[in-house]
Amino acid sequence: MKSSYVMDIIQEDCANASRQAELLEALRGETIFITGGTGFVGVWFCELVAHLNDQHGFGTQLLLLSGRAQSFSAKAPHLAMRKDVTLIERDVRSLLDIPKEASWIIHAAGSPDNRLAASDPLRVAQVITRGTETVLDAATRLPNLKKFLNISSGLVYGAQPLERERIPEGYSGGLDCASVSGIYAESKRFAETLCVAYRSQHRLPVVTARPFAFIGPYQLLDRPWAVNNFIRDGLLGGPIRILGDGQTVRSYMYPSDMVFWLLRILAAGIPGQSYNVGSPHGVTLQQLAEKVAACFPAPPKILSRLSPEQALHRSRFVPDVRLAEETLGLRLTVDLENALRRTILWNQAQNKLMRVEKAR
Amino acid sequence: MPSKVLISDPTLRDGNHAVKHQLTEKQIARYAAAAEAAGVPIVEVGHGNGLGASSLQVGESAVDDLTMLKAARRELLNSKLGIHVMPGFATINKDIKRAIEIGVDVFRIGAHCTEADITQRHIGFVRDKGKEVFGVLMMSHMVTKEILAEEASKMESYGAEGVVIMDSAGAYLPRDVGGRIAELVKRLQVPVGFHGHNNLGMAVANSLAAVEAGATIVDGTARGFGAGAGNTPLEVLVAVLEKMGYSTGINLYKMLDAADLAEKELMPSVPSIKSVSIVSGLAGVFSGFAKHVERISGEYGVDSRDLFFELGRRKVVAGQEDLILEAAMDLASQKKKAPAETS
Repeated sequence: MKSSYVMDIIQEDCANASRQAELLEALRGETIFITGGTGFVGVWFCELVAHLNDQHGFGTQLLLLSGRAQSFSAKAPHLAMRKDVTLIERDVRSLLDIPKEASWIIHAAGSPDNRLAASDPLRVAQVITRGTETVLDAATRLPNLKKFLNISSGLVYGAQPLERERIPEGYSGGLDCASVSGIYAESKRFAETLCVAYRSQHRLPVVTARPFAFIGPYQLLDRPWAVNNFIRDGLLGGPIRILGDGQTVRSYMYPSDMVFWLLRILAAGIPGQSYNVGSPHGVTLQQLAEKVAACFPAPPKILSRLSPEQALHRSRFVPDVRLAEETLGLRLTVDLENALRRTILWNQAQNKLMRVEKAR
Repeated sequence: MPSKVLISDPTLRDGNHAVKHQLTEKQIARYAAAAEAAGVPIVEVGHGNGLGASSLQVGESAVDDLTMLKAARRELLNSKLGIHVMPGFATINKDIKRAIEIGVDVFRIGAHCTEADITQRHIGFVRDKGKEVFGVLMMSHMVTKEILAEEASKMESYGAEGVVIMDSAGAYLPRDVGGRIAELVKRLQVPVGFHGHNNLGMAVANSLAAVEAGATIVDGTARGFGAGAGNTPLEVLVAVLEKMGYSTGINLYKMLDAADLAEKELMPSVPSIKSVSIVSGLAGVFSGFAKHVERISGEYGVDSRDLFFELGRRKVVAGQEDLILEAAMDLASQKKKAPAETS
């Protein structure tokens, strides 16, 4: 079992996020089928729905499709053993049918890890494009489908112009289709177009979410993203090393807010509409490193490898989320400082737990 | 134009190639102390082929990895201790964990220029442990700048904090280096570096071309002590960079002293450009092939220079030494046929 302290953090997060549980009323007593159900996003869906069931009597059932269902039992045994969670082990690309009782679908399969995109771009493309087509196809055969939420990516907008503070849903930038590093974003963009085609031709009620960047429990710190690396450097006692340009701007949403937003988009989002999901509050990597350092009693040093050439690589990735806020009544409940602090606490508790288990 | 260049000094690693990996604990300590006094930022130590490579196949080192690293560690206070790591020779559990315990600061994970994929676990592990890690692409002249940039991007995505391209065969001219480095600088967000060899007498010129194209990490060894025709001579490189207005943080006089000491205490002879090195550089073949090429060409009665060029045409890389025999046999049979056809 997980230590109570690790679980307390998650439980507090879920309680905080579901203060407006009434916004998810449409999902009460329903069955949701989730692809990519055991990844970072999938685990958080489970945590929040389990909380809604236990504390708000939702009675919602989850069917989790994953190619690595067994690893889920190891990662989150407290979720894997629940009666309201059913694991289905299968690669999304070879899915035949979705269980008939499912009336809501969340399609979350696909890894944004750019190490995988660099080493095995074809796999990344196939999981997203073939996987999406397979799930959409299976969805057309469901007798009682109420909504299909396609989890896309904020990367489909292409590079955000530096002078544009936030990207709204209507923005259409260009992607670099001549570079293999664009495989994830290009595939996600094509998957969105597939959803549009299925909505047009099969009248599937598809709504799209475009997530940006997140930080929180269950996210592995070896993921090649700045904030993960800063936290890992901090946990190791520093120094925190900024690679690339410290003036690059990102924004981060805490995962309990992320899943609440996604469930709300599933429950009430308008088919055909896309919604940005993320924090609209941009922060430079330099500021981010300082905020991470300030979370530790003895703040670690911050080192930067900036050279003049790297200013060329300055980038910005911040969403405009007014559509979700204004039409779906959503808001952020965890600010960046708290997100960082809670992520660090969770990792410290988790590391301690792992050390204890190893010593046994 | 970048004003600061980070120097990494593999005298005690690449130099080990030049003495068949026979550097002693005392020699390592002596040079490490001199490099520390000169303010060399990174001192790379180990078997010529890196951590865990001492073996019958590529040569056994006089002292084991642990002893070498500890000998250097004791002398290095401000300079960082670096090692070269090739997955296949070095494993995470057997070698890298121990190197971290000894206190190695900088890990340079190397792979052939088209094989960056094999570095993912090693780079990831070192980053996880909070140590500094660079990716190294060897024999980089063998592919286009576009492929090189793709491979370097993989290393960056795995967590490399810089990517160094090696001119392992000493095959580059300055324009080749400039083009490749510029492409990497354009495509990567992390710093880019260059490691030269002197087969065509171009090591310093190539290093300058790299810096002018945006490289901010450059390797050099005392008196060029290294495999084949040797590396970029560090004391010359530091002097030239200083003259051109770049800062290395190295004290020139003390670097000159360190080079003098290295010449006296580490080298049976200062590296020079032998005929065979010129040929292997022109052919783009790793100079470690030289002794095999000499022997086999003698056995089959073919010109060793022809054999080198044939190996270059076949794009051989280290580990494919068995192809030397096949190429020599083909050359010998062509030689036999040639007079018959003309008669």
